[in-house]
Amino acid sequence: MASSSSSGLTFKLHPLVIVNISDHHTRVKSQSQPPHASPSSANGCDASVSAPAAASPPPRVFGADKKVFPNFYILGWYSTGSDAQESDMLIHKSLMDINESPVYLLLNPSINHAQKDLPVTIYESELHVIDGIPQLIFVRSSYTIETVEAERISVDHVAHLKPSDGGSAATQLAAHLTSIHSAIKMLNSRIRVLHHYLLAMQKGDITSENSLLRQVSSLLRRLPAIESGKFQDDFLMEYNDTLLISYLAMFTNCASTMNDLVDKFNTAYDRQSRRGGRSAFM
Amino acid sequence: MMVKMNSVDALVAQIQGLSGNSSDIHQLHGHLKQSEQFLHSESTRLAPVLAQLDPAKHSLGYLYLLEALTSVPFSKERANELVVVVAGFINACTAKQIRLAPDKFISVCRRFKDQVMLLEAPMRAVAPLLTAIQKLQPSTEHLTTLHPDFLLVCLSTKCYKTGLCLLEDNISEVDQPRDFFLYCYYGGMICIGQKHFRKALELLHNVVTAPMSTLSAIAVEAYKKYILVSLIHLGQFTTSFPKYTSSAAQRSLKNYCQPYLELANSYSTGKISELQTFVQMNRDKFVVDTNFGLVKQVVSSMYKRNIQRLTQTYLTLSLQDIANTVQLSSPKEAEMHVLQMIQDGEIYAAINQKDGMVRFLEDPEQYKTCEMIEHVDSSIQRMMALSKKLTAMDEKMSCDPSYVSKAGRERQRFDFDDFDGVTQRFNL
Repeated sequence: MASSSSSGLTFKLHPLVIVNISDHHTRVKSQSQPPHASPSSANGCDASVSAPAAASPPPRVFGADKKVFPNFYILGWYSTGSDAQESDMLIHKSLMDINESPVYLLLNPSINHAQKDLPVTIYESELHVIDGIPQLIFVRSSYTIETVEAERISVDHVAHLKPSDGGSAATQLAAHLTSIHSAIKMLNSRIRVLHHYLLAMQKGDITSENSLLRQVSSLLRRLPAIESGKFQDDFLMEYNDTLLISYLAMFTNCASTMNDLVDKFNTAYDRQSRRGGRSAFM
Repeated sequence: MMVKMNSVDALVAQIQGLSGNSSDIHQLHGHLKQSEQFLHSESTRLAPVLAQLDPAKHSLGYLYLLEALTSVPFSKERANELVVVVAGFINACTAKQIRLAPDKFISVCRRFKDQVMLLEAPMRAVAPLLTAIQKLQPSTEHLTTLHPDFLLVCLSTKCYKTGLCLLEDNISEVDQPRDFFLYCYYGGMICIGQKHFRKALELLHNVVTAPMSTLSAIAVEAYKKYILVSLIHLGQFTTSFPKYTSSAAQRSLKNYCQPYLELANSYSTGKISELQTFVQMNRDKFVVDTNFGLVKQVVSSMYKRNIQRLTQTYLTLSLQDIANTVQLSSPKEAEMHVLQMIQDGEIYAAINQKDGMVRFLEDPEQYKTCEMIEHVDSSIQRMMALSKKLTAMDEKMSCDPSYVSKAGRERQRFDFDDFDGVTQRFNL
């Protein structure tokens, strides 16, 4: 499990692959991590891994795949785990019968909120001489995510699908507001980072970098430049309207809680029988 | 019980010694509780002893001695120096220590108030009682027994503003129901004195709708004032009670307030002359209840209501017409009324002096200023805090045994098939 690969292959990874792998992992979570081979097309040196179909390890199935997907050939296999292991090498070697240099894609299913990158690593096998013995070991390869903008949006939508009974307006509104909230939070934290950086530059803690400053100033110039009175008026009025709606909503909520409380109090402590008397006897 | 001459000194020494940290204070508290009877018997000899103690450091011991000292009645001359001593103690004492013996503190303050009333100088009690309340209450949301006493003193001395500052706090914990009744009633009267009718209405409403098993006289008096303030402030009065009013109040309150309800009826006709004749006929009843001043204000508010009603019909009106419709004597008087109302913010209008026309305007608030945003934002924050409190109370109520037993009792009337495991609310 050594340093970066020297095979000269650049990998472009399609996001749907990652979604599929994580789906698969979730489905078979209770079992041990079975490795799966993914048939995928290759375009010369830029091997792009796309649209895998789950296939079982026995090699004889691969022959069937050749008939089902004549244009595709097995590029490699994927598995879940935190690090490539020795046992994986055996499976890898068996795949080498089909493809001289298979690719091993490892997805780390453990959720690490601090991690910024995708927990996906692509390994290739290389013959290295260690202690005088030539051995096949895994080496990491770099990859980029390739997708078209439209595809990215649809995949994002797929990833955020809610359960089928969550179609009510309330959950959809909550989901919508949550995504807006997280977006604003991210924007806020990034602006704060920039702000700190600029402050430090101003104080002289960091050497000022003119190129960065130019980028920041160009960003600022792109901000909306409407400062007219009419805009302020309309903006404030809309702001006020939204605030008033929230106020009204809170009011209603409070009034409803108070109503429940009063009902309970009357049931518990008031000696007078409630209006309507006892409920109908079935 | 053997009483030794120097055991007072022994007690003093104990107080001085054990007033250090909180564990000592608890020990001291125990000793003092045991020596309570002894102190009461020695009360005449305690006055010089007090000088040996520091009210700030030895608050608890000082309190016990004071309480014993004031438990016996004494002459007017002594009352004066005692008032000074107690006032000094209240100003200097440590809040933590006196909270260990709240009823003693309350009785000391009560007697202080009585003495001050006896000396006919209630003004001397205002500041000390306010300090006493602030030291006694665990938080500003607690109602103590001293609150109504303080408000009564404010009423007698007409120090309404000081009373108002205490009324600003929102009460959510009450020790004794009777304190609450009196507090709201006196508070309502103070607000009426300061012409804060909205807050007066709120406080009097609290008295009328407070839970009570039998009708209380305070509630009857409060209801009378409530009717009058409602007419002055809102221009109308609804006779139906909200559903959280106790059944005792709903049944019997109206029987005691007949003349006021009739006054409300005649007010709703909108005719000044009828109202005035009614008031004249029932004058004595109002005077007996000391509500006549309020009734006069009700009559004068009738003009305001009528002018306000005009704003809904007319865009412009001459002063002469206003005077005629509202049954005022002259256009000059109409102008004065309208001017006063514009100043108070009750209507929006512009008076053209040249031809004596009044133009009624719309509310100029456009709701697009930053101040309005802050105002609404702070209201939302307050509402969120209130909502949290209400949810907590609701949950506590759901677990209350008397509620659970009564709610559960209804369930058995249904067939077995209708029975399900979850308690439901019954909103019949």
